Parts: sequence; structure tokens; C-alpha cells
Amino acid sequence: MDFEVIARNFPFMLGGLALTIQLALITLAGGLLLGIILAVARLSSRSWLYYPATAYVHFFRGLPLILVIFWIYFLSPVLTGRSLNEFLAAVVSFIVFEAAYFAEIIRAGIQSIPRGQAMAAHSSGLTSFQCMRFVILPQALRNMIPALVTQAVVIFQDTSLAYVIGLREFLRRVNLVDAREARSVELYLFAGLVYFIFCSIGSLCSQRLEHRRERNSL
Amino acid sequence: MIEIRNVSLWYGAGHKALEDINETIPGGRTVVICGPSGSGKSTLLRCVNGLEHFQQGEVVVDGISVQAPGTDIHKLRSNIGMVFQHFELYPHMTAMDNITLAPVQVRKKPEKDAREKAMEILDRVGIPGKAFKYPGELSGGEKQRVAIARALAMEPRIMLFDEPTSALDPEMIKEVLDVMIDLARAGMTMVVVSHEMGFAREVAHEIIFMDKGRVMEKGTSHEFFNHPKNERTRQFLSRILL
Repeated sequence: MDFEVIARNFPFMLGGLALTIQLALITLAGGLLLGIILAVARLSSRSWLYYPATAYVHFFRGLPLILVIFWIYFLSPVLTGRSLNEFLAAVVSFIVFEAAYFAEIIRAGIQSIPRGQAMAAHSSGLTSFQCMRFVILPQALRNMIPALVTQAVVIFQDTSLAYVIGLREFLRRVNLVDAREARSVELYLFAGLVYFIFCSIGSLCSQRLEHRRERNSL
Repeated sequence: MIEIRNVSLWYGAGHKALEDINETIPGGRTVVICGPSGSGKSTLLRCVNGLEHFQQGEVVVDGISVQAPGTDIHKLRSNIGMVFQHFELYPHMTAMDNITLAPVQVRKKPEKDAREKAMEILDRVGIPGKAFKYPGELSGGEKQRVAIARALAMEPRIMLFDEPTSALDPEMIKEVLDVMIDLARAGMTMVVVSHEMGFAREVAHEIIFMDKGRVMEKGTSHEFFNHPKNERTRQFLSRILL
């Protein structure tokens, strides 16, 4: 065992980790936003909103993420005539894919809010949008925090799949170092440790938030 | 003024929740609707501000038809306050924010004015000290008074009450009823679904008794309590008044 190899290539791999975190955060923000829109559309009584949103969610939940990454990366030049750079292709794939999962979490969260809340909001003259924005979503999002954090952890892990289109995120860089140094055991143990630490922090946050929520809802 | 003309409402194919309801409530009057559960009282109340969709007839509030295609329902609702059995305060907001949300968002009132007005109303309902408490920190009676304050903050011309005391502990009922009695005496147009017969006797200009989606009897409180015409009303009263 030669853990020296990690120290030697630490800055290079750290650069990949920064990219991984960046990718995860952008996906989280974009996925959440698109997810909220899809969730609201899926709860709408208007069929021109409901059916497309429902089809979207079922479609992407029925595909492996890696396939979506390939599609976006290889299909976009065909459709637009220009090739997408790897980072952008990865971001778009992740947002498009994760939004479908977020949408279902958010939909369940919105449905968990008693109907009387919307009735009270509507009776005071608020529009459906205002009711959603000020009354329903703040409560629903709070209830959803544990599930959302769990999904964020999954996203963090999923970013490693971007290596298939050559994006030099964390795992890809570990992989490159291994190709040069031939120290698979040490390097992949290290990679595992890094993912484990980050995901544990996420899970811990989720537990904390859940405890706090329980206390506040007394 | 509320005019309800030939209103019928049914859920699904068969179940008729309201059948041919006719009722006129002039401005400044207090009307109490009572009847067994499932008789359509709350449904009728929700037809007045368009929270419930009816298939037949017409409801006209201050000259505006609730279900007419051109009606600005949000504007109409902003002039009709509503109070619910289970309060329906927004749990993630303080009493103050509960009260100022609609004035600021719907009426576009400046935040500062809305807050001043809210304090004034909280004072009026007797809980000025609770402005910055969350609903979870309030008693049932206090919650319902905040809910009334929230409705009053829009300076409505009409107030609808849907069993406002049914979810309260007995000793808290009075504090809520007192606020409602004050409102009625101040000339607010009120429609109150309630079984509080003491309240009805004291302030109701008219009492309506409903059963199975129909109005079985209506009259002044004197007529209603002393000379009920309908057999079903007599039955109901004998049970509820013991």
C-alpha cells in the first residue's frame, strides 16, 4: 500500500471534487425549480398541464440516468447543429432527470397540506399562484426537507456518471490518476471515503432537520 | 346583500347536496343556519364566495353574480371574510403575518399600514399581546379570534362563519361568540353556520333550518324557537336544546 500517491495527486483530484460539488449544486437548484413546476402542473385540473407533466415524470423515471446523459450529449448536435460541452451536457441531463424525481417528492409534499389551508387562502382573495407561493409551498417544502436532502445525496453520487462523456469530475480524475500510477486499491478506497464523508454529512443534516421539524410542529 | 336563487348542487351523479335554495340576506343582517351534519349548510355557505361550484341557479353578492363568466372572483372574495371550524391559520406564520398576508398581497396595502391595522383589530378581538405568536402557541379560542381578525383585516362587507365554535373547548366558546356578537351589533352582514342557539337567539335576524340539502324552515328567532312549524325542526330543536 502506498498512500503517498494520494498526497501527490491531491490538488488534481480536489479540482475534480470542486467540479462535482458545482455540478451537484446546480442540479439541485435547477432540478428543484423544474420539479416544483412539474409538481404543480401534475396537481392542476387543467388537462393541458396535467398530461404533459405526468408523461414527463413517468418517462424520465423509467430511464436510467446514464442513457439520458448519452442522449443529451449525442443528440443535441444532431438537433441543434452544435455540440454541447461536457459540463453543460451533464448539467442539462441531471436537471432534466432529477426534476422528475423532485416532482414526485414535491407533489406528495403539497398533497400533505390540508385542503382547508388553500380554502382559507382563496377565501381571502389570494390567487392560486399566491396561495401556492405564500401558503402551500412554504409548508410543503418544510415537510419535504428530509426527502429532498436524501435526493440531494443521491444527486451527489449520481454526478460520477458524468465520466461517461468525459467530464473530468472527481471520480474521472481518480480514474485518470490510476491510469498513470496504477494504484487502484489506494485510489478507489480514497474515492469511496470522500463520497462517504460527503453523503454522511448530508444524511446527518437531514436527521437534524427532521428533529427540528418535529419540535417545531408541536 | 346576498341573493341566493334556485341554487342546486350535486356531487357525482345522484347525491344532491343542495336542492333549490332561495334566500335573500339584506345588508347588515345576521343569519344563522343550523341543521344536522350533512344537511348542506357548509356547502351553501361556500357557494356564497365561490369556493363551491353549483350546477343550477345563481348567487348574487352586492349585485355581482358569483359564477358569471366575467366575474373577478378574487376581488369578490376579498370583500367576503370567512372563518372556518378548524381555524385554518397558516402555521408557518405569526398571527401578525397571518393577518397582513391578504391586505398586502391582494389589496397591495403598504406593509406598515397593514401592520398598524392588524394591531388595531387584534386589540378589538381582545388579544393584542398575541401578535407575534405562532398559531401553535395559541389556545383554540385565541386561534379563532386571530382567524376572525385575519378576515376583518380585509375590511369585508360580509362575514361567513362555518361552525366557528364547534372545535373549541366549552370555556373558549364564549370569548369567540362575544367577538361575533360585537360584530353583528356593529352592523356587519353575517351568515353563520352554527348550533349555538344562545347566539342565534341573541343576534340572529333570521334562523334557517336545513335538512338533506333543503331549507325546511326559516323565520325570526322568536318564531323559530317558540313556534316551529315543521315537524323536523321541532325534533331537531328538542334534541339540541334538551
